[in-house]
Amino acid sequence: MLSTTSSLAPVALAVLLGWTGALKLFGSGAARQAPKTALARMLSSSERAVLVLRATGLAELLLAAGLLAAPRSPLPGAATALLGACFLGYLARARVIAPESSCGCTANDSAPVTWRAFARAGLVLAGGAAAATASAAWWTTVGERPAASAAVLAAGGVLLTALSADLERWWLLPLRRTRMRLFGHPLAGGTAGGKQVPVAATVQLLENSLAWQAASPVVRSGLLDHWDEAGWRFLLYSGLYVEEDGEARPVSVVFALDATASRDTAGAPAARVSVVDADTGEPVGVDLAAVRPRDALPVAG
Amino acid sequence: MTAHQTGSGGIDRRRLLARAALGGATIVGATALGGIDADAAFAAQQPSLDPAISKSEFVEGRITAISGSVLEVAGSYGDRSRVQMTNATSVWKVRPTTAKVIEVGDGLYARGVKMPDGTVAADAVWVNIVNIHTTIRGIEKQRLHLAHGSHEITGNVIGDTSAAYAGRAPTSDLSRLRIGQSAQVLGAWRPSDNSVDVVRISVGH
Repeated sequence: MLSTTSSLAPVALAVLLGWTGALKLFGSGAARQAPKTALARMLSSSERAVLVLRATGLAELLLAAGLLAAPRSPLPGAATALLGACFLGYLARARVIAPESSCGCTANDSAPVTWRAFARAGLVLAGGAAAATASAAWWTTVGERPAASAAVLAAGGVLLTALSADLERWWLLPLRRTRMRLFGHPLAGGTAGGKQVPVAATVQLLENSLAWQAASPVVRSGLLDHWDEAGWRFLLYSGLYVEEDGEARPVSVVFALDATASRDTAGAPAARVSVVDADTGEPVGVDLAAVRPRDALPVAG
Repeated sequence: MTAHQTGSGGIDRRRLLARAALGGATIVGATALGGIDADAAFAAQQPSLDPAISKSEFVEGRITAISGSVLEVAGSYGDRSRVQMTNATSVWKVRPTTAKVIEVGDGLYARGVKMPDGTVAADAVWVNIVNIHTTIRGIEKQRLHLAHGSHEITGNVIGDTSAAYAGRAPTSDLSRLRIGQSAQVLGAWRPSDNSVDVVRISVGH
């Protein structure tokens, strides 16, 4: 099995290096992403970073071709292992000097350097070493043991895909969507708070109510407190009531609304309002009916 | 909800107010300096309503030490400030709460008035508050996988997480969230594991 894996390592590596190399050499992403990479920070120049990315891409493509065409020569394998070691060194340095920067590994993703980038570089190093010591050419192994070869290549493909953050949208998101389709929406039961109407929805309902229009000239605060009791939701505001003699009294304005109602529920839920003295708790005789409902603003057209 | 509303005295007062209410928009600032709800943390600075206070002060950063009722704050740009908590300071951490839940290491936005000694007397403090544009990449029972730019963020679904779907009232029904949707998340960052407690997730706006 080990010899199968080592003789097939060049194929898996060639696919990986061919893909990342082509993206770096030919992709428009290289120029776009270069300024965000740790490489640009190390070289203090985006232009130089683009050049290095393109050169690395060319080297990766040459190595991919070498690995496929000359699997029995230890040279491509050894060079690939060296490249993997260089990647590891670069990533370690990038992690220290610019942990938030992109690694530029595929020249297409802007993900910061993570353990996955290290694991992939480690695989390039290990795979290169294995390819350098392979005893048989990959086509010989595929011809002799097609089933085992297919299994090893598939496993290698899965491993490399899992380690490539920018491939996630091609497999992880569809996988999660399929899981939701099969097993239902995980949040279908509502949150731990149950089917309760959020306070924000009650406040929204209140602000659209006649009770609010009537009492808002008195209200001088945002929502100060809220609580539920016996099916009602109470919303407390503070306010200032100016009496006829011109004296201002600090008051509490308390609204009571149906705790299960929101703007989306049918009907016109009752909203009650009362104004009490902030210090004594005595009801203040505000004639809310005398407050004229606000006129709707004229709408153009 | 607020610090001075809790305790048994608060409950008695609630009963009284409830009886009064059952017997019986533009929201202006809760304090002289502005609103105290979560959205107010991101509102543009408004002129002070109190003629005695000429200008409100804004502080942001990480709390490096708490000595008594003073928070030592290291700002993101290397600046240092001291924030004085008072009995009247409103505190938001996932929900309106008290100063007791503030810990060293928390991030904060504070709004207040600069005292002669340079300390900022806070009238409102929002702890670990974040308001970020994300893409939903995964939905689980306890958490959401979110992407903010190239950063992966875990969003914890908590008891009072609410969702705002375009044109609808806020709701606790999160079952209409879909993978791939763009979502604005208002929440509280957890410094311990770098995740975010989702308070409100708005989609389709």
